Formats: sequence, structure tokens, C-alpha cells
Amino acid sequence: MKKKFKMVDLDCANCAAKMENAIRKIDGVQEATVSFMAQRLTVEAEDSRFEEIMDQIVKACKKVEPGCQIVR
Amino acid sequence: MTGKQKKMLLRILVSGVLLIAAVLVPYEGPWRFLLFLPAYFTIGWDVLWRAIVNIGHGQVFDENFLMALATVGAFCTGFFGHGEYPEAVFVMLFYQVGELFQSYAVGKSRKSIADLMDIRPDYANVERDGVLEQVDPEDIAIGDEIVIRPGERIPLDGTVAEGASSLDTAALTGESLPREVGEGDAVTSGCVNISGLLRVKVSKPFEESTVSKILDLVENSSSKKARAENFITKFARYYTPLVVCSALALAVLPPLLLGGGWADWVQRALIFLVVSCPCALVISVPLSFFGGIGGASRQGILVKGANYLEALAKAETMVFDKTGTLTQGVFRVAGIYPQGRTETELLEMAALAESYSSHPISRSLKEAWGQEPQPGRAAGAEEIPGRGVRAQVDGRAVCAGNQKFMEELGIACAPCQQAGTAVHVAVDGAYAGYLVIADQPKEDAAQAIRDLKAAGVKQTVMLTGDRREVGESTAQALGLDAVYTQLLPAEKVEKVEALLQQKQPKTTLAFVGDGINDAPVLSRADIGIAMGGLGSDAAIEAADIVLMDDKPSKIAKAMFIARRTLAIVRQNIIFALAIKGLVLLLSAMGLSNMWEAVFADVGVAVLAILNAMRALRVPQD
Repeated sequence: MKKKFKMVDLDCANCAAKMENAIRKIDGVQEATVSFMAQRLTVEAEDSRFEEIMDQIVKACKKVEPGCQIVR
Repeated sequence: MTGKQKKMLLRILVSGVLLIAAVLVPYEGPWRFLLFLPAYFTIGWDVLWRAIVNIGHGQVFDENFLMALATVGAFCTGFFGHGEYPEAVFVMLFYQVGELFQSYAVGKSRKSIADLMDIRPDYANVERDGVLEQVDPEDIAIGDEIVIRPGERIPLDGTVAEGASSLDTAALTGESLPREVGEGDAVTSGCVNISGLLRVKVSKPFEESTVSKILDLVENSSSKKARAENFITKFARYYTPLVVCSALALAVLPPLLLGGGWADWVQRALIFLVVSCPCALVISVPLSFFGGIGGASRQGILVKGANYLEALAKAETMVFDKTGTLTQGVFRVAGIYPQGRTETELLEMAALAESYSSHPISRSLKEAWGQEPQPGRAAGAEEIPGRGVRAQVDGRAVCAGNQKFMEELGIACAPCQQAGTAVHVAVDGAYAGYLVIADQPKEDAAQAIRDLKAAGVKQTVMLTGDRREVGESTAQALGLDAVYTQLLPAEKVEKVEALLQQKQPKTTLAFVGDGINDAPVLSRADIGIAMGGLGSDAAIEAADIVLMDDKPSKIAKAMFIARRTLAIVRQNIIFALAIKGLVLLLSAMGLSNMWEAVFADVGVAVLAILNAMRALRVPQD
């Protein structure tokens, strides 16, 4: 399943790249891109565990930039 | 400015005032640094806080950490008598000013790109009990009738049920000439109604209307990253730790090996830290691509990702489909050569046999015949790709198609005497004659080929399913380098694969088609360019780059935009690396100060952003 999320207060381009790397390493994530310009996260992940994977993604992003929020 | 930015501006001003006040206090002595702490914390508390929090998260080499280390370090060297306290505050202050400017500039360019793509309709007018009501376009169903007043944007795709007007399609195609529409014409969402009142019967729900598709495509384009972009993020991952380690070595090794002068070397190391943030690069590269894609979409060129823009800039082989791409794709019956029956009979037979097909040839036959096919006269129509059509017409088996088709059926046909496409007709297994259908090259096709050659395309190739004489005469008239004719759709893929083998390494091959029947080729080529995106869903789906209007001359323009965007990206990478490298070198030798370091970090980022924003502007012709 592929889903798009808006990201609020994604302020630094380097952080976006770091988040992208962190998300890609999460188990069950097939493909992920964090676009700094569009302030948008695109995730392709296993259907059955999508919500659980999203929780992990939010946690991973908080680690990189605590102020940034993913609108779910 | 957003609220967040305003708050930051206030903090910068307050901190600036506190800094001046601290400088003016005439107290000298070891505790003088306390005077500067209010100014420092006003401007830098969040940086310090984030640095601490991020270290807790295992994010060691981020810019907060670097700035915190550099400024705290500057305080320490000041305490031991070398540096100056104001410098520490100033570095933080300047850093925040730069960050503020960055976020302002990025927000601004984000907005200007959003404005370019401002084609999303807010409402649709529906007439209820004689009164116009504004409704959310998403609530409109297929078959509903909507009203578009002059000056309003068409919210959903449909056909005109009543009224006539001219439409401004500039937002979709970049074309400034208005398009005239009348009753029965299809209209595309996103166009602006200029003159008359239109009543439109909706043919597609909002999510499937052209405007939604285009917006979706442009918004998603940033998720397909260019090689340059990936290179930069990878580079950033190694660059920062490397510089931080060299800074450490610079602070510790020379004093240990050469003795004495700790403070001086620590100061040099701190300058290293300030320069080590890769932000200028990381921010300016995607911003340039984003701008290039935005500028292209204003011209009616939709690019599905930065990687395609990058690939297009390196295209040296350009392969074209003929019909509908280089030629108008409007076939007209140019000659009728019957055998054993009248011209009208032959035309009627062919038109009825092809009446179920949407192929351009079939349409031209129907047009020439000029009658609506009566239901029941033609049945059991079967389309054989690359061959023709087989159908029952008035109870007789009619086959209409090319020479290959006739040969396979074992029917001898007459040699075609006119340049054009011959449609041979056989009735109940006996040859009945042929019709010639001819197509004209598009007005700008020859110019488009010349422009592409001037832009550095080495090889232009035309592939067509058409007969050799027709294909070759068209190719010659337009100045193409090579032409392959009488190809079936599968053979087109093979030809493109062969051309992909032949091309020079590091160059790319682009295929230009109209999206009808060439989806496999579009996806096989390095870059698939589809024409006439207005109205053709297949083209929008299959291609990497979609030209919204039918003009082949837009390809050269797209290449120009791609090259310019890449040039800007290259300038930014080289400029940022050169300045940073220079400052690193100078500071290692003790020749640069903190000011130059802050410029190398923040100043370069700002200049790179300003340069990146040039990609948005595309010169109009």
C-alpha cells in the first residue's frame, strides 16, 4: 500500500534526507521518500502492518527533528 | 512571513540589542563573559537544546551540535584570553539570520511553484430551481450539468451541452491562443472560460478529471529523485563527520606535536566546525529541480520526476513515432480505387467494417463516408493489431487493412499508386480495391527536428507502422536521420532496444509518441515523452514527460529547461564546495576568521538558494 502524508515544520533539507534513510531501514517499508520541497512523505509498506509501521516512522522522524510532525 | 519566522526575527532583534549593551558595559575581567550570556541564550537556546536532545537520540553531527560546539568553544577560547566573547554571540546570531532567510526563501519559492500550478478549481456551479449554487467539485457526479460563467475555471472534464465560448488553456499548455469551443465539444478542466456562458455535461468525476491528474503528477514529481540529488545526500553523510574529525585533529595534533598555542589551534578547529554543515548543497539541489519542473509545467510540459529532467538533458538519440507525433494524425481519404464496384460502395464497405474502431484511419473513413453507421449493418468486428479489421457487413465477410493483412489472407492486391496509406478491402475473400489515406506533417515538426539537432541531439529516428514510401517521404521532408517502416507495435520495442544498445554510454534515448499503442515503447526508452496529454489518459499514465499540447517543438524547449536546470545544479555544487574548501584551507593555515566561516556556511546557502530560484523562470518565446 502506498500512502502520502503531509509534513509540518520540516525545516531542514539535510534532516529530510536523514529521515528518508531512517524510514527506509524500518522493517516492512518497501519504499519511502521524504520531499523537503513538497513537505511530503510517501511510504510504500506492507498492508497488514501499515499502522504499526507508521508508528515506527513517526518515532524515527521525531528522533531526527523533534519539531517536525507527520499529519496522519 | 509565518508566525514562526516572525518570532525568530524578534529574537534576533532582542539579542542584537542585548549584545550591543553587553559590549558597551566597561567591565573588564575574567567574569566579563557573563554579560554576553543573555544575548547568547536569547538567540541560541533552541540550538543548544536541540543539540543536547539530538545527541541523546544518537544524532551527533547535526548542524545544531556543530553550532553549539563552535560557539561554546568560542566562549572558552575567549575565557582563556584569545578569542572575543562578542564573536561567539555574533556567530550564533548570524547563523540564525541565515536560517531565517533560508526558510523565507524556500517558503517563497514553494509558494511561487504552487501559484504556477494554481489550477485547482474551488467550486462548480450547479443550477437548482433556476438559481446557481456553488458546490464542491468533488460532489459532482458523471452526467450532472454544471454552468461555467465567463472568467471562471472549468472544474471538471465534460462536453459542452449548451453555449459557445473561447477557452484560455494557458495554465495547462502554455499556449496563449484561446481555443474555440461550441456545443458537443469536449472541454478540459483547468481551462478558463473567457467569453460566453457554458453549460457542460460532466464526463469524469473530479478525481479522474485532467486537473486532478496533473496536480497529482506534479506533486509526486519530487519523490523521484535525480542522481545529482542522491549524490548530494550521500556526500553530506560523509562530509560532515570527515570535517568534524579533521577539526578534532587540527585542535589536538599540532599543539601536541609542535607544542604550545592551544587556543589558536582550537580556534581554527572551531572554524572548521562552522563550515562543516552541508546545508547549502542539500537545500539548493532539490530546490533547483523543483523550480525546473515548475517552470516546465508552466509551458505545458509535465515532468514526472527530477530524474527524468536529468536524463533528458543528456538525450542524444531521439526516436519518434510518426502518426500523431510528427504528423497531424488527421487522415483524410485522398483517393478511392475500386475494383469491380463503385467508389461509394467501396467507401461504404470499408467505413462500416471499421465503424467499431477508434483508429485514426477508421475515423477518416467514417468521415469521408459522411453517414452514421446504421445499427445492425456491421457486426462481429475484430481488430488485428498492425494488420487491419475483420467484420461482417450486411452479412458478408469484409476484411480491411494493409498489404500484409491481404498477403496473410492469400489475397492478391493492386499496387498502390498514390503516396499515403492504402487500406485494401476484400469482400468474401475477393479483392475489392483500395482507398488511399494521407496525413500531413505538423506545422512545427521540421523546425522541431532542426531545434533538437541544434540542441545536440545526434540521432533522430522515426518508427512507423506505415508503409515504406509514406514513412520515407515524411522522414525526408522533416530531415530525420533514419526511418524504420512497416513495424508492428512489438517490432517498435525491438527497434528501440537495438537503438538503446547502439547509443553512446552516459547518453540517453528518448521516445516520443502520442500514447496510443506505444505504451510499451514509452516505458522501455530511457525517457518516454507523450504528446497531447490533454484528453489522453494513456499518455499521462505511460510517459515520463507529458506534453500537454500537440507541438513537437516543445521537446526542444523541454531539453533547454532540463539543461539549464542541470547547469544551475552544477553551479551550486561547485560554488558551494569551492567556497567551503577554500575557507577550510585558509582556516587550517590560520588565515581566516569566524566571519568568513559563517559566510561559507550560511551565506553560501543563501546564494545557492537565490541561484536555484532562477530555474523557475523560463524565457517565453
